[in-house]
Amino acid sequence: MKLGFNLDLARPSRRHWLGYLLLAPAVILIALIIVYPLLVSIDLSFQNVNIARLDQPRKPFTTANYERLFSSPDFWNATWVTLKLVVIVSFFCFLLGLGTALLVNNKFKGQALARLLVALPWAVPEVVAVVIFAWMFDSSFGLINWIFIKLGLIDTTVSWFSSPTAAFIVVCITMIWKGYPFVSIMMLAGLQSIPEDFYNAARVDGANAWQRLVNITIPSLMPVLGVTLVLVMLWVFRDFSIIYILTGGGPLKATQTLSIMTYEQAFSFFKMGYASAIGVVTLVVCVIASRLMIGRAPDTI
Amino acid sequence: MLRKKLILLAASAAIALSTNAALAQSKVLKFVSWQKDERGVGDWWASVIKAFEEAHPGVKIEWTKVERGAYSDTMTTLFAGGTPPDIVHLASFEFQKFAENGWLEPLDPKIKESKLDLTGWAGQDTCVWNKQTVCTMMLYFGYFMAYNEDLLKKEGLSVPKTYDEFLAAAQKTTKDLNGDGIVDQYGTGHETRGGGGQYMSEMMNYTLDAGGRWTDESGKVTINTPQMIEGLSRWKTIVKTSLTPRDMSAGEVRQLFADGKIAMKTDGPWLWPIIQKGKAKDQIKTAMVPFTPPVGGSSNVLAIAADISPENKKLVWDFITIATSDKFQSTYATLGASPPPSPRADISAAKAENPNFDLLVQATQAASKAKVDRIPKGLEIQFNEFSKMIMEESQRMIIQDLDPKIVAATMQQKAEALQKQ
Repeated sequence: MKLGFNLDLARPSRRHWLGYLLLAPAVILIALIIVYPLLVSIDLSFQNVNIARLDQPRKPFTTANYERLFSSPDFWNATWVTLKLVVIVSFFCFLLGLGTALLVNNKFKGQALARLLVALPWAVPEVVAVVIFAWMFDSSFGLINWIFIKLGLIDTTVSWFSSPTAAFIVVCITMIWKGYPFVSIMMLAGLQSIPEDFYNAARVDGANAWQRLVNITIPSLMPVLGVTLVLVMLWVFRDFSIIYILTGGGPLKATQTLSIMTYEQAFSFFKMGYASAIGVVTLVVCVIASRLMIGRAPDTI
Repeated sequence: MLRKKLILLAASAAIALSTNAALAQSKVLKFVSWQKDERGVGDWWASVIKAFEEAHPGVKIEWTKVERGAYSDTMTTLFAGGTPPDIVHLASFEFQKFAENGWLEPLDPKIKESKLDLTGWAGQDTCVWNKQTVCTMMLYFGYFMAYNEDLLKKEGLSVPKTYDEFLAAAQKTTKDLNGDGIVDQYGTGHETRGGGGQYMSEMMNYTLDAGGRWTDESGKVTINTPQMIEGLSRWKTIVKTSLTPRDMSAGEVRQLFADGKIAMKTDGPWLWPIIQKGKAKDQIKTAMVPFTPPVGGSSNVLAIAADISPENKKLVWDFITIATSDKFQSTYATLGASPPPSPRADISAAKAENPNFDLLVQATQAASKAKVDRIPKGLEIQFNEFSKMIMEESQRMIIQDLDPKIVAATMQQKAEALQKQ
């Protein structure tokens, strides 16, 4: 008996079908767990929904959530806080990450231990790190206040979480501490891929250490830098646990990022349509920023 | 042929019956609670579950703990996803959202049918939503004051009985003991970091004593009143002059008090078990709060999910009947170390075990008599947003040193806007 449909994947013209077939389960799975919720979220953002239920009829289409969002001072404040956090944390993560990578890339006694110490904060779970920092910056019994008073830098304790500026600084410090090892590891991998011949040739030409860094190391690291920058930026953009546990977005919304605002609107105030609109705007901003950075990376090499 | 048909019919019936029996054997009711593993009240829930399972052979209760911090999100997700727990345990400030969505079964027919007498049941009025009873109140509490006798005696102070005496005592007992510039001992302790609900409860010690209320009986916002302004002013004094440690969660403050770092603490019945485990337990004594009326309110409720099968609803109602029975309300007093909501509960054993039980009952009755609740009338649905707004405006008052009169006006305006949403 002959089958009506005979799929001969061995035929040269159909070999690529096998690839698609093998990819299909993964693609379907990704579509289910990433694309579907994304579409639901976009759909919800155009409805006046408080608590969303998929088995309930769809509410009428409205742009009210977006109108409210763009006229809300809280949204613009959250956008500004997110932007400040992204710029400051990314900048210092890069500074520290590159510095420590250059340091542990050199051969010295205890290099393995130094590498371990540099990478250690990355291995510490976020919640544990935040609890440690919350204790260190505790206004009444914290280590930092005690050190500052002993050093004579302050004469009275600083209420780290009651001052908008101080709370923002604490969040930045915690995020930088948690984020710089990733940059360091990426940079170290990049540094080890630069051929030693480049440096030898530069030395023959009389280039000093600074010139070798600026003219060889940094340009060679550019592809890694570009990708790392995007990843760090996205991490800061979406990070929730550090801020939520440390400050909950306060005081006076000084540390309320778009992620915190989304969570608060969805699960504290149960305004899921509005929260979805914030989520969609955050996604659009992230996609544009990532595209710009990845698009620019090759040009800078 | 007929015989063959009869045999087949009998076999089918036997299979159907055995399947039903098997299903009955494996019936599981889902119960999610944040109080599992909590010393005292957790043990009481376990005893209710045990009694229910003994009375319903073949039915098991699957009891899952979800942390309070993630509770509201988890329950919302479960309900929204169409898989609610059968036995619904919620805080009294959050059940309204679930009731408003029609997710809680109206209990009036079941109460009537089973002749459950809820007359005089503390806080039960809160469970009436849109003219229907949707839950049973499991705890209504009143704040009492615990104080460190040694710390007060060292300063020659007696137990404060008014706000002025309390303020003077708090000022005298707030001290830098070793002269390093860091305050090591505080006059009192309040949560000033965390959720808006708890922050509001802490403030209410002072606003209630000053005669202020967030809303009146009809739900009209009454924040911009001289009484509330006085209450806000008192809260500002306590926090701004650091008579309480700053930026601490309620749990941390309670532990500091239990360890002898705080002189006076007003709190609910749950403070007592914490004191018993603290370093300063022998120095700590209790009294009525120096504020009139004391902070009080409904705490948590038990309900039935509207989306479950009629059979499960009946079983959950049986569970509620056991939990609200005189026997288990009496054991609630001993195991939970709190006054039970039932007026018929026998609390003699609890009184014998806990020397403060009379005080707890007195505090609860005082709060109940004054109709004090943490959830203001007319703002139940918007409670989370309202409490967050109150917390932020109060923080603004303290951080930017604003006049309480201006702050009260802002709060009034924002609360009215929330009501109109």
